[in-house]
Amino acid sequence: MLRNLNFQDLRQKLGFAIDNRVRIITAGLGIDELRAVLRGDPPTEKPNPRFKVHTISFLFHIRPRYYQKGSTILAHTFRLGFMTVLFYAIELITGIVLMVYYVPTPAGAYASILEIMSEVPFGNLMRDLHRLGAEATVIFTFLHLLRTYFTGSYKKERSFTWITGVILLGLTLFLSFFGYLLPWDQLAYWAVTIGTSMAEAAPLLGNEVNLLLRGAPDIGAGGLLRAYLLHIILLPLLAVLVLSIHYYKVAREHGISLPARYEEGDVSPEVKKDSKRRLDFLPDLFSHEIYLTILGLFLLLLVTIFFYGGAPLENIANPQQTPLDTKSPWYFWWLQGMLKLGDKSLMGIVIPTLLVILLFAVPYIDRNPYRSFVKRPVAVSLGVLAVLVLILLSYMGLPQYGIEMPAATRIVQDMSPEEGVGPLQDVPYDQLQQGFYIANETPTENLCPDLDFGCPEFEEFFSLFTDRVNEAIDSGALENGDAVIVTENWQQDLKKVTMRITWDAPETGDRKTYERHIYIHRNNQGE
Amino acid sequence: MSRFNLEILLGIILVSLTTVILVVYGFNEEDRMAEAGETQHARAIEVGAGLYENNCSGCHGIKGEGILGLCPPLNDAEFFTTRLKEVGWSSSLEDYVISTVSSGRTTSTRPDQFAGQGSPAMPAWSDEYGGPLRPDQIQDITTFILNWESTAIEGVVIEALATPTPSPEEATDPVARGQKVYLDRGCSGCHTIEGLSAGTVGPNQTTIGTLAETRIPGMSAEEYILESILDPSAYLVEGYPDNVMPKNYNDLIEPDQISDLVAFLLSLR
Repeated sequence: MLRNLNFQDLRQKLGFAIDNRVRIITAGLGIDELRAVLRGDPPTEKPNPRFKVHTISFLFHIRPRYYQKGSTILAHTFRLGFMTVLFYAIELITGIVLMVYYVPTPAGAYASILEIMSEVPFGNLMRDLHRLGAEATVIFTFLHLLRTYFTGSYKKERSFTWITGVILLGLTLFLSFFGYLLPWDQLAYWAVTIGTSMAEAAPLLGNEVNLLLRGAPDIGAGGLLRAYLLHIILLPLLAVLVLSIHYYKVAREHGISLPARYEEGDVSPEVKKDSKRRLDFLPDLFSHEIYLTILGLFLLLLVTIFFYGGAPLENIANPQQTPLDTKSPWYFWWLQGMLKLGDKSLMGIVIPTLLVILLFAVPYIDRNPYRSFVKRPVAVSLGVLAVLVLILLSYMGLPQYGIEMPAATRIVQDMSPEEGVGPLQDVPYDQLQQGFYIANETPTENLCPDLDFGCPEFEEFFSLFTDRVNEAIDSGALENGDAVIVTENWQQDLKKVTMRITWDAPETGDRKTYERHIYIHRNNQGE
Repeated sequence: MSRFNLEILLGIILVSLTTVILVVYGFNEEDRMAEAGETQHARAIEVGAGLYENNCSGCHGIKGEGILGLCPPLNDAEFFTTRLKEVGWSSSLEDYVISTVSSGRTTSTRPDQFAGQGSPAMPAWSDEYGGPLRPDQIQDITTFILNWESTAIEGVVIEALATPTPSPEEATDPVARGQKVYLDRGCSGCHTIEGLSAGTVGPNQTTIGTLAETRIPGMSAEEYILESILDPSAYLVEGYPDNVMPKNYNDLIEPDQISDLVAFLLSLR
């Protein structure tokens, strides 16, 4: 029987069988064809099996069959839409990993974040990636919108796509915003308190909306659970739905817009024709997407590990204590800035709502049929103006702008903020030598004769403190001001630093004191 | 080289680099986790120190040294070595501290030495038992208290900051000296003097200098205050029960310190 066995035949049969299996998985691409795709070679069979894939496979069916060559120029799209989706995917994956350990209760949330940071292998990396990825998603979504606006790609058949895009921008912001609350630290708690309190200013339904979001007059267990469910279920589902519509319009209906110069510019017919040449999804677009994915992941990882100080985690949320300098997440600073301009209802609700409606209606307001910069001067200059105003408003939204704080409080807060690190925390632990350091009395040099290398960082800190106090005295904010820093050894590896400023109250002439005690442990340094 | 081939090449290089970064990161992960744990422990001590200062130092002393007659020390060897046996606690010291702070203590276990501030001897601090603190805050206070272990039993010495010599004015002024006694000897733990202390166990003393003049007919303000310190049961302010304030201040505080204290209280008008 063995003698009858034809090895040539067997090999062929075996190869055929394997090839068949592969074709089932790849929706029609054989082994040779697959290799050709990956190498960027032309198709090996006729008719082109790469087109068949788009009919048979669901995942390829929702992808474009081709884009026009001119529309894929890097300087035209900057791949911003793709990057947004990539970061959405990264958020999804890291988010699922974090969900394994996260507990959405006030008693458990903060502890579970601590656990993720110190007990879960790669847990901190996942958290940092998730945090940084969220910032990147917001940034890329916004940049994608700007690109679309400035290239005039929202016109005619793309106007509905623009609307879905604006919805996606909103969903991205809210996804990020409700995720912000989940670590349940002071930063999260008060940022979200500020954010949801804006809803309160809404006419008629304000209180109800606020109550619905928070689950109680103040954010508590109910509010945390609601934010959690919005963050992990409702908003992601909505985002997937709207993203599908958005993407399908681009991939299957109108494609990516051609740069305006090919459509309406003064270019030769050959160039125009070349720009409309088809780039097939397989292999060109697909391979490029894989490359972009690798590049995006690499860069994110690089930045997260080597350049990112770690996702912030302040002290556990304390509803009884509003920290100084509370602020909303950075992408809502512009809203905070607007609130400082006037009435809460008008600036916090009415005008932002009008702005959102305006953003939705851009394709319908702008009836100018042209897309190139020079032919739409009004739209372009309005766009630039809007970006500048947004930046200005964001600056005004910072707590340092327009919020008056007593001089002594401001100085101490700047030296050692209630949350996070300030100049005091940058002083190495051993340089905090016991003693009284009195502003304008203790010399600011040679403060630590007992230390071999002195204490340059502490001296710098002390003279900074003295300068700030003197500045305030000169400006009249601290009349007859005295200031002292007391450093004490408190326990092993624990020091207590007292900053005390006394001054005469302007009206009554009473002696006033502001004092803060800061405890510093040796192992909580060098962050 | 076509763009396609370039991307394949770069893609392979970047995948390799990413793998290398992840592997190196992975090797360092154990150390990083341990360090993160230490940082969290350090942060708990810092937070606990602040909470202790605000809530506990009035009775247990600013550095846990305790106040004789009122509350026991938390920083001595006895607390870290024999206390658990004394009260018959079978679990860890950490559990003991958390449990005691959370639920308080109705009666003192050493009434002759540390009577506490009455009934209960120590209030419940956890919000689960009607106190003001959350469980995580009590955990942080406990972490801070247990950090005294090294100075209590391991012989580590922490030198205290030498207080500056009092100005001549302070040294000769009995009122200033009396205020120091008031703060150092635990009075401020139970009594309120606006702007100075905020205890609620005993009567408010913000204007005691004036009140004392008319409290008992025929008794001068000075005599009344002295009597109230040495024999608290002699006169009870309405709403405050007997046997809360320790009765042995005669033994605890030097006579000249008591006269300073009286001078200070008389000055409160």
